[in-house]
Amino acid sequence: MTGAPVTLLAATLVFAACLALAVVLVLTKVGRETRRRRRAALVAPLRPHLIAVSAGEDEGPARSTLVAAEGPSRRAVTGAIADLLGKVRGLPAEHLVEVLDRHGALESAMADLRHSSPVRRAQAAQLLGVSRVPDAVDSLVVALQDKAGEVRSSAAYALGLIGDPRAAAPLLAAVGAPGAGLPAGLAADALLGMGVGISGALGDALSDPDPRTRTVAAHVCGIGSFTRALPCLRERLALDPDLTVRETCAQALGSIGRADDVEVLARHTEASQPLPLRRVCAEALGQLGEDAAVSTLAALLRGPDPRLAEIAATSLVRLGPCGRAALDAASDERPVQSALTVASLQGVLR
Amino acid sequence: MRELLEPLRGVVVWLMDVTAVPVLAYFVLINTSYLVLILLGALDFRSYLRGRKTVVDTLGGELTPGVSVIVPAHNEEAGIVTSVKALLSLRYPGHEVVVVDDGSTDATFARLREAFDLVELPRDVPQDIPVRARVLGQYVPRDGRTRLIVVRKENSGRSEASNVGVNAATEPLVAMIDADSILEPDALLRVAKPFADDPTRVIATGGTIRPVNGCRVVAGRIVSVGMPRPWMPRIQVVEYLRAFLVGRTGWSRFGGLILISGAFGLYRRDTFVEAGGLDPDSIGEDFELVLRMHKLMREAKADYRVEFVPEPVSWTEVPSTFKVLRNQRRRWHRGLWETLWQYRGMLFRPRYGKVGLVALPYYWLFELVAPLLELYGIVIVPIALVLDAINVPFALLFLALAYGYAIFVTLAAMTLEEWAFHRHSRWRDLGVGLVCSVLENFGFRQLTVWWRLEGWWASLRGKKQVWGVMTRTGFNEEAS
Amino acid sequence: MEVSTPEGTRVLVADDDADIRELVEFKLSQAGYAVQAVPDGLAAWEAFEANPPQLAVLDVMMPGLSGFDVLRKIRESDHPRVPVLMLSAKSRDSDVDTGFAIGADDYVIKPFSPRELLHRVNTMLSRARA
Repeated sequence: MTGAPVTLLAATLVFAACLALAVVLVLTKVGRETRRRRRAALVAPLRPHLIAVSAGEDEGPARSTLVAAEGPSRRAVTGAIADLLGKVRGLPAEHLVEVLDRHGALESAMADLRHSSPVRRAQAAQLLGVSRVPDAVDSLVVALQDKAGEVRSSAAYALGLIGDPRAAAPLLAAVGAPGAGLPAGLAADALLGMGVGISGALGDALSDPDPRTRTVAAHVCGIGSFTRALPCLRERLALDPDLTVRETCAQALGSIGRADDVEVLARHTEASQPLPLRRVCAEALGQLGEDAAVSTLAALLRGPDPRLAEIAATSLVRLGPCGRAALDAASDERPVQSALTVASLQGVLR
Repeated sequence: MRELLEPLRGVVVWLMDVTAVPVLAYFVLINTSYLVLILLGALDFRSYLRGRKTVVDTLGGELTPGVSVIVPAHNEEAGIVTSVKALLSLRYPGHEVVVVDDGSTDATFARLREAFDLVELPRDVPQDIPVRARVLGQYVPRDGRTRLIVVRKENSGRSEASNVGVNAATEPLVAMIDADSILEPDALLRVAKPFADDPTRVIATGGTIRPVNGCRVVAGRIVSVGMPRPWMPRIQVVEYLRAFLVGRTGWSRFGGLILISGAFGLYRRDTFVEAGGLDPDSIGEDFELVLRMHKLMREAKADYRVEFVPEPVSWTEVPSTFKVLRNQRRRWHRGLWETLWQYRGMLFRPRYGKVGLVALPYYWLFELVAPLLELYGIVIVPIALVLDAINVPFALLFLALAYGYAIFVTLAAMTLEEWAFHRHSRWRDLGVGLVCSVLENFGFRQLTVWWRLEGWWASLRGKKQVWGVMTRTGFNEEAS
Repeated sequence: MEVSTPEGTRVLVADDDADIRELVEFKLSQAGYAVQAVPDGLAAWEAFEANPPQLAVLDVMMPGLSGFDVLRKIRESDHPRVPVLMLSAKSRDSDVDTGFAIGADDYVIKPFSPRELLHRVNTMLSRARA
């Protein structure tokens, strides 16, 4: 069988590896504590000044002290200000950005967008965003294609804060990039910070080949009231191969649709459609608030699915007198009674 | 005496000749596979850490779908009101709580009715998932604002109660949780984030579960994380880190996560329904459901993802007596075996991708069979040593590769936790953890090996599974 | 008409974020308030019980007890009418809804303007005194 020296060697190796790992474990803990203390120690003398500037209780001297910081404390101050900018707004925020600018931190952040460390690239993007540097838009758009996910996310977040509508199209494209893509929710948040100038980009994105991009675009259209996209939303609701996209379009039509959208939504409450979509459309009809929806909704009250029937009943409650009349005609149906009970508990019915 | 032992010795020598090398190789392989999973998990932790350093807080932003939290309850009068209040106060933009009273014979429903002033609704539960048991009624709070639905039904077991809850749920996502777990305030936000990040592909996410034993709990919230005093739950703290936290993160990173614990999982309601919900006759119903979802999606050639969220979100009481732990492990292994057997048709089939080609074979080889081979090892090696069929260096080698390597793997998991999450802030806890990583291998591990085999054996003999009652000692509400 | 003088008015500030905690403490102290600042929900509740302040500024997300939990406890305590201002990082409507539903008097969203926060505190206190 196996020779004694070999086995002893193996056993010793395993034992040594365990010991080494235990040491690494302890060092991890010690290292984190030490780094935290060192950072705190660097910022500590300047902290009262940082707080004074952030609180807007500074006539200038505190700012000058911060500007005068050198070396490692200057880097620590930059980090601290980046954090603070996420917490305060108004004049104090402008003063903090001024300190960053005088430190040259914004300039080096622009350069850091091409740094080899992804953490540095992401932090640079963040800093440019919270400082709302308009000149950074082009570089941040490039960073949307970074190979590291956190850099893409930081760039999107920064672009949302800066709010330049030119970034909308590349942002939407980044959502549908192969692989993980840009987180859709983050992209939607950022797009909503870009104002009305993005409606063209949203319209185009509704016919993007990737369903994630289409979902984000449809959602933002609905929340941000981009009515120019209505024709695209209708088309996507009818034809999109992805159920999530169709549901999102139906919700958007419910919040920003016109009178002619009653017919579009009504068509998708029919029995040939997937049940989840029918339920979403029945709810959207109530939200749309057009009396023309009454006959469609009334027909759903007696269907086999109690959920769909109750959603239709709730939508009729929302439609006001016309809808109530339809409900009275079907008051023997349990879904109708249930919807009315809930509505009266919520105080919707007088 | 010597003559008597001689034939036995012959058998043992022959056995060792044939099996020694394969058994050693098996242990090296299994521990190496854990290590690979841990390294994969490390990649995931690294992006998590980077994300935290770059502070883009996107929790609860746009596109966060609504969630229905499903709480099946059977005779839970003692804790139900506290649990529901805690769930209602979770931070989330739009969640409802659906309690399913599964034919309780105690005051579960009465307590709820009193606490929330419930009113009955003339509402029928949709049969999205077909359910055998009769639903007795649905109730909502009178204030019309608190988002709680209570469904009463005839008793028919936990899985079916969950299915009824999903049927009654109205939001696009459904959360399956243990009623008595303690959730972090932003647990739902974290576990729902993958759905907001990738709304068209993610179908299920699992949350990390950690033992609550030893933590300080005030008003249903974790105030400080600590190590339990008794050694059995202590060892489980370390075990959970290795097996659930790091192991599942690794699988998720690889794209082959096939197990989401029933104690915290979030699913797209439509996919959950399409798959047919939890199987009331299955013992490993959480595992079975996720496999069924994989099968469904793969056969439909859908582009989909199942993700694991490594950040701690849910804290649950782990067994602190042998009896309860034995029941738990027997049930787990029996569920594992029965589900793997049921889905044996997916094995090695390219159409099931990573699930059929890697994850399932792995579970067969390293999760199911492991206790069998380990038992063989711990029985044969000492015997062989006594009978002089092997030499001391070989026994040492076996010890090093089977146990020493296992300790190394556990330490690696602990190091990762310390690096990424460091929830245990006290030095003493770290020390206890280090001791546990070694201690686990003397007694605890052998017991679980035996219990797992018991569970497997019971299933093979066709014995009916008795669920066993999880006797809880109650959370340590003050001090310690 | 003289706005009530803050001198000696006790304000409890609870936030786990040291930046915000020190900032609010500084701003309110400069205006003459006696500020007690604590880093988590449990400490906030203990401080409230030991010596009820005239006003409380609570962060929503804190380890242990959340700001909402503390607010609920205050409203169920012997001093249920102490004005409470919630300070939250998230602008989700649902959070704001929850805050007011369980009895917050005002709600400020981060990033916030310290000057505005001070004005709101002043107003809340003079209303409470009126």
